[in-house]
Amino acid sequence: MQNRLSGFGNPWLQLTVSVVCVFVSELLLKRGATEVAEPDSAWSWTGVNGLASPLVWWAILLIIASFISWLYVLRYIPITIAYPVSRIVDVLVPLGCWIFLGEFISPLRWSGIALVVIGLALVAKPVAQIEQRL
Amino acid sequence: MSFLAFFLIVMSLLSFVVAQLVLKRAVAFPAKIGLSSPRFIWLFALGVLLMTISFFITLGLLQRFALSYLYPFQGLSVIMIVVMAAVVLKEKLTIQLMIGSLLITAGIVLVSMTY
Repeated sequence: MQNRLSGFGNPWLQLTVSVVCVFVSELLLKRGATEVAEPDSAWSWTGVNGLASPLVWWAILLIIASFISWLYVLRYIPITIAYPVSRIVDVLVPLGCWIFLGEFISPLRWSGIALVVIGLALVAKPVAQIEQRL
Repeated sequence: MSFLAFFLIVMSLLSFVVAQLVLKRAVAFPAKIGLSSPRFIWLFALGVLLMTISFFITLGLLQRFALSYLYPFQGLSVIMIVVMAAVVLKEKLTIQLMIGSLLITAGIVLVSMTY
């Protein structure tokens, strides 16, 4: 973080870009993999038949974009901080499944989501204080 | 969940965790060495290979399980990466960071158990 960069080069902005790309790609993968699923085929365990879906290819493009952003993040932020913060996607994915895919979220699952948010606040708080002092 | 499914989830997780540590090492090169150094290319290729393996195993699993059930297993990667980065990459590990990571892991596992 010594090389704190501004604008598009800001590693925190790149972390956000990476998270959004992962979030959207996960929803596309689920839709894509399901629409071409052949559970009876032995090959389907490898996941390769998922490539028959255009949605899976869009997801792959987003994964590549998120990967490039992520490499940039790794260069400037310690992985012990960047990786836990990036798991905000684990809150976004169930919420996205609930909103866009119609999957159910039980009260216990909401509690899990709350724990993740508290954990994220604990991990990100010292970082926010450092940024404020700079 | 069958033994095969459990084994594949673990393999997907392990290859993902090791890939992250390898990629962190790869991009930590000094600016003057640059992208053409054999060390960078070798580590980068290994990281990408491990992530690709993890990706295809996950794609196969997604055809059988709901995303909101399967995906949270990735939560275990938080604590694994934080501990392994501190041990292998010698990154600083504070109590607050450890508690935060444990809460994130617990939260994600809880989400996955309520399916």
